[in-house]
Amino acid sequence: MPTSPSAVSASRIACLLVPALPLAAELRAHPELIGRPLAITAGPGARAEIVAVSPEAARAGVRTLTHVVHGRATCAALVVRVLSPARDRAARDALLDAALSTSPRAEHAPPGNGAYAAEAAVFVDARGVAALFHSEAGFAAALAERARRLGLEAVVAVASSRAVAQLAARQLAYAGSAGTADVRVIAPGSEADFLAPLPLELLNPEDAQAEALSRLGLRRIADLLRLPERALVTRLGPGIRALLSLARGQDLAPPPPVPPDTQLEEATDLEAPLERLEPLGFVLRGLLDRLAGRLDSRGLAFGDLALELRLEGGGRDARRVGLAAPTLELRVVLRLALLALEAAPPAAAVEAVSVATRGCSMRGNQLDFFRPAGPAPAVLARTLAELAALVGPSRVGAPAVADDHHPGAYRVEPFRAPRPCPPAEPAHMAGLFLAVRALRPPLPARVRLAGGRPAALESALANGRVERAAGPWRTSGRWWSAEERFAFDHYDVATDDGWVVRLRFDLLQQRWEIDGVYD
Amino acid sequence: MPPRPHPIQGRGLEALLRDLGANLVRGGPEAFPTRCFPTGLAEIDRALGGGFPRGRVSEVVGPSCCGRTSLALALLARVTAQGELAVVVDRPDAFDVVSAASAGVDLERVLWVRPLGLGAALRSVEHVLQAGGFPLVLLDLAGEETAAPHIPSSAWPRLRKATAAAAAALVLLGRRRLAGTYADLALELDAAAARFESGPDWLAGLDGHVRLARSRAGLAQADVAVRWRTGGRHAA
Repeated sequence: MPTSPSAVSASRIACLLVPALPLAAELRAHPELIGRPLAITAGPGARAEIVAVSPEAARAGVRTLTHVVHGRATCAALVVRVLSPARDRAARDALLDAALSTSPRAEHAPPGNGAYAAEAAVFVDARGVAALFHSEAGFAAALAERARRLGLEAVVAVASSRAVAQLAARQLAYAGSAGTADVRVIAPGSEADFLAPLPLELLNPEDAQAEALSRLGLRRIADLLRLPERALVTRLGPGIRALLSLARGQDLAPPPPVPPDTQLEEATDLEAPLERLEPLGFVLRGLLDRLAGRLDSRGLAFGDLALELRLEGGGRDARRVGLAAPTLELRVVLRLALLALEAAPPAAAVEAVSVATRGCSMRGNQLDFFRPAGPAPAVLARTLAELAALVGPSRVGAPAVADDHHPGAYRVEPFRAPRPCPPAEPAHMAGLFLAVRALRPPLPARVRLAGGRPAALESALANGRVERAAGPWRTSGRWWSAEERFAFDHYDVATDDGWVVRLRFDLLQQRWEIDGVYD
Repeated sequence: MPPRPHPIQGRGLEALLRDLGANLVRGGPEAFPTRCFPTGLAEIDRALGGGFPRGRVSEVVGPSCCGRTSLALALLARVTAQGELAVVVDRPDAFDVVSAASAGVDLERVLWVRPLGLGAALRSVEHVLQAGGFPLVLLDLAGEETAAPHIPSSAWPRLRKATAAAAAALVLLGRRRLAGTYADLALELDAAAARFESGPDWLAGLDGHVRLARSRAGLAQADVAVRWRTGGRHAA
């Protein structure tokens, strides 16, 4: 459909709508249930109320607002799942991610109420999208497809205002048109024609309003708009103005904003508490998989993970899992999360799991003609994450000299491939410097003294007479802390069995140690 | 009964040669790479034909206190000064950060991996080689108190293949040679003698020898005397 310049500049809003969020959230988390009769209940137990049913269950005669026991009596193969607010919240956010994968501006619609309490909708700024998707219909189809990739079956309508777009989406979802198409575009200028024949129930009036309108014999939006506003307000109260505004498709709000941050979260409430890590790993895999899909749709990667577990008995276990670099490798992220859990298992059985991450951009790769190229940023990120999973996050990084006088002090910084630099000569001592091999922890030694100096040495390494010894050089520090203070007398010692070691006497512990070997 | 001609002779051979076309190459000794990482020690670099070859496995072995770590740090300093990245897979957790910084190593360009087991060390090496972009990988297996590590024989061809694919120099530090024929280059260092200076006494360095024990490129055997210096760390 060709779009005129004036249409491009005018407000165009897409509404991405999921009619039954609890059902959609459950099917997103458990796609193996697609095609089976499924009922979502408000709580556990046979007397729990059914709040949503799948089309298969509805065809079998299972109805909402009945009890599980009735549902099972109607359909023996009925699968029953308990409503999970955490899972619903994640599905609602996933809907927003699908929208943000097509347009930078999107926002959640206000929560539905009344007959539409279970629906979730997102408004997307659709101005200028025809340039990217050939037409608004193409954009709407792409939006529905992105939602489908994230596990959500949604309908999309594009119109000139939020109200018209949402009503059109509702009509698609509830009025029986969903079977034939899941997208609809209301051309600019044709909103009134579209709205006029729609039933008033789509406006979701309050119960009292609906009853009054019914008494007046009003069935369709056109019927309502034919009546004078002042007379309606006099008879039905000022609350009718909002309904009239909706019926006219008016939208005075500014376009949807750009979301302020990229914090993404997936969570689930478990039907039964989990005590062992292995089943928890399966839950985590599902959550991370869905999170990876959402990140991927927005061109982002995992940053550090915030893992939160709700424990049986009301406890809470929150931990942070650091990633060496942004990555989308599910296997690596899962391994790191499991390592963190194995290192310190939760204190009680787990009732709910939540994983959050701040989406990070994958690093760009800027090549240089004349300088060496390092590893590709995405590959480096994956490799660092794999190494961290293999040897532990604290044992991978860039070494750094610590600002500390302790002889064994060092730091390990996150490795970030520095920008290429022009080749240079190394520092002046390079090439001939005698290196030390550190012994971590230092090796205990027995030393025989002669004249206050080491004369013979016994240890797991060097054993024998001390041929030459230089020292002592005293090192001390952290005097302000009884636990951390240290004081050493260091000697460089050559023994007659060929070892040249760095020997120290711990003045506080009154013991000898070897903390390095010259090599 | 006359002998039947071999199917690959005559017209069959011609057809085979024609089918293989450009894939057919004459056999011969493997070409030795010309790209090397020099250590900055002129005599050793000369003996090595320029330095440690890229795309190949090299070994630096010797007893404790022979200078193999000093030689490795010299190589690391040279490579990082050229703006390249390097990996140190440090099985014994013996990498001394202060020592490396004093040797001129640009620590920002070093990825330090400290695996807790030999298997993890070998897998770490494979990971970084597969990632590419790290042209020098130092694998330190020279645990002071451990015996020679047992490395499965299947590991070496895999490491050699990954090293060649990454065009990286894989340098192993150890007490004795481990890679056998999979190493293209092997340097053996003899036990070095400590050198002390007087007034007051301080350790001035080690005097040792570096010997070229194996070279697939056919370099001549060489024995180089090296004087490592502490730089007078405690002299003041």
